[in-house]
Amino acid sequence: MDSRYFELTMWPHLRAAYNYARWLVRDPHDAEDVVQESFLKAYRSIDTYRGGDARVWMLAIVRNAAMDLLRRRPGRATTEQEGPEPVDPSPSPERRLLDQSRREQLRRAIASLAPEFRDTLVLREIEGLSYKEIAGVLRVPIGTVMSRLARARNLLLSELSAPKEVSQ
Amino acid sequence: MTCREIEPLLNARLDEELDAAGLAEVDRHLADCRVCAGQYAALEKLHHEIAAVDLRYVAPATLEQKIEEGLPRQDPAKERIGNSRFPIGWWRAAAVAAALVAGILAFHYAPRMGDSEMSEVGQEILDSHLRSLQVEHPVDVASSDQHTVKPWFQGKTSFSPPTPDLSKEGFDLVGGRLEVLRQQPAAAIVYKRRQHVISLYIAPSNDATIGIESQDVHGYHLLHWSQAGINYWAVSDVSPEDLRIFANLIRGGR
Repeated sequence: MDSRYFELTMWPHLRAAYNYARWLVRDPHDAEDVVQESFLKAYRSIDTYRGGDARVWMLAIVRNAAMDLLRRRPGRATTEQEGPEPVDPSPSPERRLLDQSRREQLRRAIASLAPEFRDTLVLREIEGLSYKEIAGVLRVPIGTVMSRLARARNLLLSELSAPKEVSQ
Repeated sequence: MTCREIEPLLNARLDEELDAAGLAEVDRHLADCRVCAGQYAALEKLHHEIAAVDLRYVAPATLEQKIEEGLPRQDPAKERIGNSRFPIGWWRAAAVAAALVAGILAFHYAPRMGDSEMSEVGQEILDSHLRSLQVEHPVDVASSDQHTVKPWFQGKTSFSPPTPDLSKEGFDLVGGRLEVLRQQPAAAIVYKRRQHVISLYIAPSNDATIGIESQDVHGYHLLHWSQAGINYWAVSDVSPEDLRIFANLIRGGR
C-alpha cells in the first residue's frame, strides 16, 4: 500500500475530521481520540478506498469511530462544558466581540439537538457538504437527509427563539 | 402542493439542491403562501448566521503529530521529519503534501495529458491551491467587492483579471492574491461555493483559444481554458458540475 497515496487523499481532511468528531462526541479529548483512531483505521483500510470523494469516506470512518466511543461512554453525549474556543484571529477585535455571544448561542443550540439532527446539520451548515455527500457519510437515502435537515433546522429555530424571550 | 409537502423542499431550495422544475414549484408556492415565505426567510437567516460566525472547532496543533506517530509506516520522507527535533507544523505538512501532489501528478497524469497546457502547469496550480488552503490568509486582498479586488492587481500584472460578481449564482468573491506561474506573475482570484474554495488562476498565454479541458485529481477538479491571449485554470473540491458552471460564468462574463 502506498503511504504517499494516503497522505494525498486523506490528510487534507484532518480539519474536517476533527470538527465533525468534536461536534459528535462533544469533548475535546474524545474528539482527538476519535480522529486518531479514524486515521489509523483509514490508513489500514486505504486499499478498500475506491476513489470517489475522499472526504466522505474519511468522515464516514470518523462517524463510526465516534458512535463506538459514544456507546462505550454512555450519558455524556451532549454534556460538554464549553470553554472559550480558539477563534480565527483574522477578523477585527470589535467584530469578534460582536460575533462572540451570537456564536455561543448558536453553538449551544446546535449542541442541544438530538444526535441524528445535529449530525446532519453540522455536515450541511458547518462542513458545507451536499445532500449526496451527507447521504454518503450517513449511509442513508438523500430523502432522509432532506427530512432530517428540515427537522433539525426547525428545532434549532424554536430553540433559538425560546430562551431569548425570558424577559417578555 | 401543500405546505406540509413544501416544508422539506424549502430546505432543499436553500441548499441549492432543487432542479429547475422543483425550484419553479417551490417558488410558485412561496409567492402564494405567506406562512411558508416567512418560514423560508427564517431558514435563510439562520443559514447565513451560522455561516457568518464560523462554528468550526479547530484541531489542536499537536493532533497532527500524534496521528503521524500512531501510523505504522515506513516512509523515508516522513521518518526524516519524525526523527528531527522540530515539531511538525502545518506548513511542513503542506510542503510535504505539495511535493507529493507534484510527484504523484507527474507520475500518474503526465503521460496521459500529452502536450496540453494542463500537463505543464496543472501540478503547479494544484500545489499552489493546496498551499493557499493551509494558511490563515489565503488572499492578499480580501474583499467581496469586485471593484476592490480588480484594481489591486494594477501594476502587479500585465493584464486585468476578471473579478465578476457571481454571488447571485452562488459563487462568493473572497479576494485575490498574486502568484507566480512558470516564473511569471499571475493572478489568483478566490471564490467560495458554500464552504468550498475555488481558486481561479490567470496568466498571459501565447496559445490560441482553447475550450475547457478537465482533470480530476484525488477529489480536486481542475479546469483549464484559454481565451483572448489569457490562460485560465479553475481548481477546487466543489463538484465537477459546479466548477464547470463557474468556468462558464467566467468565460461568458468577459
